[in-house]
Amino acid sequence: MIADAATGVALALRGEGDPYALSGILRQEDALTPAAVRVLGADALAPYAVEHRAVAVGADDEAVVRQALAAYPPGADASAVSAWTYRGLVEAAHAFLPGGAPPWPPPPEAGTGWVESDPWPKLAHRASQLAALALPPLAPGLAEQLAGRTDDLARGFVRAVRRRDWLQAAGLGRWLARLPEAPQTLGLDSGLAFVRQMGGTDPRVALHVAAARRFHGRGW
Amino acid sequence: MTVTAASPALLHGVGDRALSWLDEHREHFRLTPDDFVNNGAVVERLKPIGELALNMQVLFREGVAGSRQKARAGQLLDFAWRELLDGGNVLARLQHDEPLSPVPLEVYATFHELGHRHPGLEAAVEVCRRTATWTALEMMPNRRLGVLNAERKLGLAPSSDFGEAVARTWLGQLPEPWTVQLHIAYDITHTVFHLTNWGEAPDRIPPDLADYLTRYLPAWMDDWADLEHWDLLGELLVVDACLPRPTLDAALWERYAAAQSAGGAMPIQRGMPEGDPARVFDLVHHPTLVAAFASAMATSRAMSAVR
Repeated sequence: MIADAATGVALALRGEGDPYALSGILRQEDALTPAAVRVLGADALAPYAVEHRAVAVGADDEAVVRQALAAYPPGADASAVSAWTYRGLVEAAHAFLPGGAPPWPPPPEAGTGWVESDPWPKLAHRASQLAALALPPLAPGLAEQLAGRTDDLARGFVRAVRRRDWLQAAGLGRWLARLPEAPQTLGLDSGLAFVRQMGGTDPRVALHVAAARRFHGRGW
Repeated sequence: MTVTAASPALLHGVGDRALSWLDEHREHFRLTPDDFVNNGAVVERLKPIGELALNMQVLFREGVAGSRQKARAGQLLDFAWRELLDGGNVLARLQHDEPLSPVPLEVYATFHELGHRHPGLEAAVEVCRRTATWTALEMMPNRRLGVLNAERKLGLAPSSDFGEAVARTWLGQLPEPWTVQLHIAYDITHTVFHLTNWGEAPDRIPPDLADYLTRYLPAWMDDWADLEHWDLLGELLVVDACLPRPTLDAALWERYAAAQSAGGAMPIQRGMPEGDPARVFDLVHHPTLVAAFASAMATSRAMSAVR
């Protein structure tokens, strides 16, 4: 179900398939929908960031997102990844599902100390898990902080490809596509194409690569 | 987030143990009558002898050996020149059999730098170097760099342009760093070894190559440490020590040191092989020589940072 939803998002980002509607892919009455939205995070709404490719189905989409937000509120002891993923979905709801009554909750605070303190392998792992936040214009502060560790993310990309950890590589490639100064020598465009070729049968890999292409023009 | 550098004691200990092992197993470097039956075998046996000499030279040059270690290295070198190479006659004989082989020149260059001489070999090599064939010989770009560096060590005019040779190597073209696999990684390390004359002149690494290595070397080191490939990790640690700002990463060095056997040998990958001592020697002499090399370079850099 998560795979189907990720495939739907990736298709929409590539401009293929039927116009995307979140509530058409993940139905509110389906018991697994909140979990799927939680995993996709902001990416559940990514197609709405693309003009003309999606029809926001107002109240139905809103209900699906509200249901997921209610089902998994991050506790005080939530990991940075959980807190940021949740925040990403809230930010995406604000950005792409305007209106709504009652209004969307304010994005909860999520810590960024790890961006500075994590050794590069750990940083790369965490950043890749938060690749949905690379969706513009979300998390500008996080993106700015990660830009300070561009080289470390590039190292993580190299290591992830070497290890054939395509999901991590795709997530890092997507971040590097958003950041302003990904090193030229990394070969990000051919790298993203390589990751899609080698690991694109995983719909989440395909989604990240499609997002890097759609929103940042990287990869081919 | 900065990397914690290893202590000079940790760095030095790896090389000290490696040298002890090499010294204790020096008889295994010797060519046997069977080896002399065909030149292919001679070349195979010369390689470790050349590497042994290189290592001793690095130890002297970097000035990081204690007096006991230094004496041991000196004795090993004399042993290599006098007994293993018969004062250079073994090299001269191979050169006579295979005039275009760069191997005698490459091995001799190190001994020459250390003050040993074999005029007959030098004269013979010079005749061959003046042929058009010498520069036309097809070889891997980083090997070509090795030949040019050997010529430089002998004080000879280089037989072709060094910069062009660098540009033809894998590293010289700065390709996608995520494509690096085992044999590319060895091409990278050898390009750096020849460029810098085995760590003597790290500033000969062009700035764009140094930037590239600074950026991506940590990713390769981390991965091959996880694969427990100590031979390659050791070579990558040498490259690290040749960079303008070496990391001398304590966590990596601790893992590397822990892989060393109690006697000082370094396995190629994972654990130490077992069985016939001659076979074990054949398997582990290279990674152990690399360990001595990496240790000398890293210790030297750590000490100069302290000074």
